[in-house]
Amino acid sequence: MKSIAIIGAGIAGIEAASRLSKQGHKVYLIEKNPEIGGHVAQWDRLFPSQEEAEIVLNDLIKNLNNRAEVLFNSEVQHCGKKDRQFEIILTGNKNLLVDVILVTTGFDTFRAQRKEEYGYGIYENVITSTDLEQMFKKHNVVCKNGNPPKRLAFVHCVGSRDEKVGNRHCSKVCCATAVKQACEIKELYPDCEVFNLYMDLRMFDRHFEDMYHEAQSKYYVNFIRGRLSEAGENKDHQVVLKTEDTLAGKPLKLTVDLLVLMTGMEACDTQKTLNTKLGLRSDTDGFLSTKDVFTQNNFSNTDGVFFAGTCTGPKTIPETLADARAAASLVNAYLMS
Amino acid sequence: MQERLASSFDPFVLPYTIGLVFILTYLFIALIRVVKALPNDDKFKLLKHIFSLKIFKSGWEIFMECLLHRKIWKKNWTLGYMHTAFAFGWFLLIIWGHLEVNIFAPHRLNLPWYPIFFRYFMMETETTLQGSFFFFMMDLTLLYVLSGLVLAIYKRFRRKAFGMKRTTKLRWNDQVAMYALWAIFPLRFLAESFYSEISGGSFLTAGVGSIFHWFYNFTENEIYIRPIWWAYSISLGVFFIMLPWSRYTHILSEPLFIIMRNAGIREEHRNSGYGKVEIYSCSRCGICLDPCQLVSVASLRDSAAINYTRHLRLWKSAKAHQAASTCLMCNRCTKACPVGVDTAALKLNTKHELVNLHTEKQYDYLNTSVKDISTPLNALTLSGAEATDVDVIYFAGCMTHLTPATKLAMTKILEASGERFNFIDAEGSICCGRPVLLAGARKSADELIKKNTELFNQIHAKTLVTSCPICYKFFKENYALNMRVLHHSQYIQELLKIGKIKINPTTAKIVFHDPCELGRNSGVYDEPREVLKSVGQLQSTAYDGDESLCCGHSIAAEALPYRKRRVMSDDVVEKLTTNNPDILATACPACKKAFSETNKIEVKDLAEIVAENLV
Amino acid sequence: MINFGYKRNESATLDLDVDNSELYKKLLKEEPSAATCISCGTCASTCSTGQFTDFNLRKIMLLCKRGDTQSLEPIINRCMLCGKCQFACPKGLNTRHIVLILNKHLHAGKIS
Repeated sequence: MKSIAIIGAGIAGIEAASRLSKQGHKVYLIEKNPEIGGHVAQWDRLFPSQEEAEIVLNDLIKNLNNRAEVLFNSEVQHCGKKDRQFEIILTGNKNLLVDVILVTTGFDTFRAQRKEEYGYGIYENVITSTDLEQMFKKHNVVCKNGNPPKRLAFVHCVGSRDEKVGNRHCSKVCCATAVKQACEIKELYPDCEVFNLYMDLRMFDRHFEDMYHEAQSKYYVNFIRGRLSEAGENKDHQVVLKTEDTLAGKPLKLTVDLLVLMTGMEACDTQKTLNTKLGLRSDTDGFLSTKDVFTQNNFSNTDGVFFAGTCTGPKTIPETLADARAAASLVNAYLMS
Repeated sequence: MQERLASSFDPFVLPYTIGLVFILTYLFIALIRVVKALPNDDKFKLLKHIFSLKIFKSGWEIFMECLLHRKIWKKNWTLGYMHTAFAFGWFLLIIWGHLEVNIFAPHRLNLPWYPIFFRYFMMETETTLQGSFFFFMMDLTLLYVLSGLVLAIYKRFRRKAFGMKRTTKLRWNDQVAMYALWAIFPLRFLAESFYSEISGGSFLTAGVGSIFHWFYNFTENEIYIRPIWWAYSISLGVFFIMLPWSRYTHILSEPLFIIMRNAGIREEHRNSGYGKVEIYSCSRCGICLDPCQLVSVASLRDSAAINYTRHLRLWKSAKAHQAASTCLMCNRCTKACPVGVDTAALKLNTKHELVNLHTEKQYDYLNTSVKDISTPLNALTLSGAEATDVDVIYFAGCMTHLTPATKLAMTKILEASGERFNFIDAEGSICCGRPVLLAGARKSADELIKKNTELFNQIHAKTLVTSCPICYKFFKENYALNMRVLHHSQYIQELLKIGKIKINPTTAKIVFHDPCELGRNSGVYDEPREVLKSVGQLQSTAYDGDESLCCGHSIAAEALPYRKRRVMSDDVVEKLTTNNPDILATACPACKKAFSETNKIEVKDLAEIVAENLV
Repeated sequence: MINFGYKRNESATLDLDVDNSELYKKLLKEEPSAATCISCGTCASTCSTGQFTDFNLRKIMLLCKRGDTQSLEPIINRCMLCGKCQFACPKGLNTRHIVLILNKHLHAGKIS
């Protein structure tokens, strides 16, 4: 019986684990947190269908059907090739000997504190998109003072497309998330005025444009093409935004009760430490570099090490799951040969 | 001692003499041109200095710097020894030569080659040993110069032994001059050794001469002996002729530079008189290369001070301008320069020349009409509410608005201190004018200075506090305000000292990065450190004080690509965090942004650390 | 007389069939980073000058790129060169250098 170590039990890891274990392999699913589900577990509802994240995640876990051995609170301490196999030492000195490593380490959310001019951690009514999802989950979307927001703004591209924080790439999902969250806010508080400050609105995938259409036609969300340059705070702890309405060609001032920063995806720290241990390479954006962008995007340069999910760049949930399935079938083929 | 030859002339002295005449003529013309290019009041300053007692101070400085190279000794003694051996040793040889002529053949003093080729024309008689003292001194000095030469050759190949990672890359003209210079002393040594049997010599020349004779007993007329004198003369002549076209020009210009500098002459528009002397005083020693982060970290060797001055010498103004506009003006090079060439000031002049050359109107923001109103900005004044009497004006500065944690911390500290204050640029303001000055537009800077002075003086405050070291330097040095100017680090230190604010000390390990404009360029080193010592554990680094590095985000370098800036800030963060501090503290919004962008360590302005720990 | 024929009014159109890219090419040569502007407007938004006047670097760069250089001449010197936009720019453009270059070329040869 061949064995596989999957590093990271987010949705990519869970999906790949359930496919591979169904095919009769021994699967170790290594997760550094006490729970599985990764970023999706923190989310309330998902675009474009407003499906609840919990339902999607439960389906995936149901599929897994306890066939894989999930190792919680485990991080890879050491990792190396031993004959044709890999030896992995986990926290707590647990040893694994596996035939294949599947890297599904995912991404890190951009730390919004790094854009000091946006005031996260400085002004009390500046939150991130992740914080907002938590509020949605708790059914408690309010300002710091406990009042529901009367005016709210989303800032797209926080930590994405920004050379100053070392991220030139687009994080792909934030535009759709911002439009989704804008609709949800309007659903919750129909009288709340909602503004989306975007650089380019990237509604690239199926049903996304419908969502955008709905945000405009049903919810009257205000879309402003301009990037936030700096945020301030007034005496009432409202957030004062400075931007340029680039379509009107004029600087714009906007005061809101709550500011939501659409923090992007960054290459994850765990993956960076794996790089040296497994001889993996990162591209300039920090994400893992695949053997070929088109035909071998689940292969690493090290034989027996495969990739799935957002460790090779930002992806939506359907893309991540498809990638995980592709990786699983490739791993299976590799083990059979 | 007596004359060996009836004739006081031999054709081999010609190359030397031609070279000497050339260099003296050149020096004379250059001197006149430089003095002519000076503005009248500077000419007056120069005259006044020359005919005052202060000229002795300049003379002493010339002796200490041009001959003894005191500043190089301080930096590295092997390097100092090498430079001194050449300069002071050669100087002594000239002195001994002239003394000899003066004592033994005073009637030949009018012949310029006589002191130089003394041994050829004069000889020791069997009965006298009058010259033995000079022979000894000559040999000793020659040995001294030769030891310097050995070091110089060694340095060319093994510069690391001299503590230098980089040294000057030489062009053909520098190479010709350098090899001529290197050839002078061994040739002289050989010539005098061969002649030691005839003309006398001391331990070195006579000793080596007798060894030569032991091998082969040659006579004066042997074919290979006189050519040595020729070669010696030619090497001197070549060196003199190459002198103005090589890095050795500084031998001529440095004394003049010291005199002019001590006379208080400065140039603030273009590099014509004083600036030219300053440029030619660069000895191209290469000491500025290692401190320059553009060279050592960003691989922009062309921007180094030493190469900037070379571009100017070669009339490559486009390249000089490129070097000037990628320079961070951190002044690490000028602090290291043994000659004291202020390349930052020169670069500013270069930028100024270019701006004036191309632009009819410079930057006249103040004459622009305010949106929708026809009033020009220049006519605006503070409203009554803004202009009330306060103790302190707080001016955050343009850049500080992008680091809001700093300005909030300052507001918190000011509120806690109980001082009456006015946050004058809370809603934005006019720029202090230093950035536009650093781009070379002095006139525009003057207009901003005038307007800001008018606005500040409208409020009768005692103190102006700013969070931006760029503003601080400018308010302090270029404004005439009727209030004192403090950087917030100084102000916080003062509040702590008089007990207006109190802080709870923490155990946080803090490293402080001195912003260039605050530290090296304004001399404020102690106050920020005192503040940080009272709030946490301040770690010292190898880059404290004058050794402090530039964050790479200086606004002076308008043409420096962001990619290069980033390489530099990454490097600085790495160097400052070797002892694993908890916080990297600084006192400048530009440095703060530069370091937080690297995402390696928590970066805070010292005001934030204080505000967080107020009692 | 306004021509009401079926013809566009020349002056109201950015005519990209006419090559007006000379200034932009000069700009790119001296400051290559200018090519990477994404017109996000951060510079115009953060601008110390733009709060009171019509100075808008994003617009200036765009018009320069489109070849409409005539309209730039009277406004390019309204900048204070404070450098705030350079710190805010997400693409790391050398905005001060861009202003300096444009000002230089737009006012070239006009020595007072």
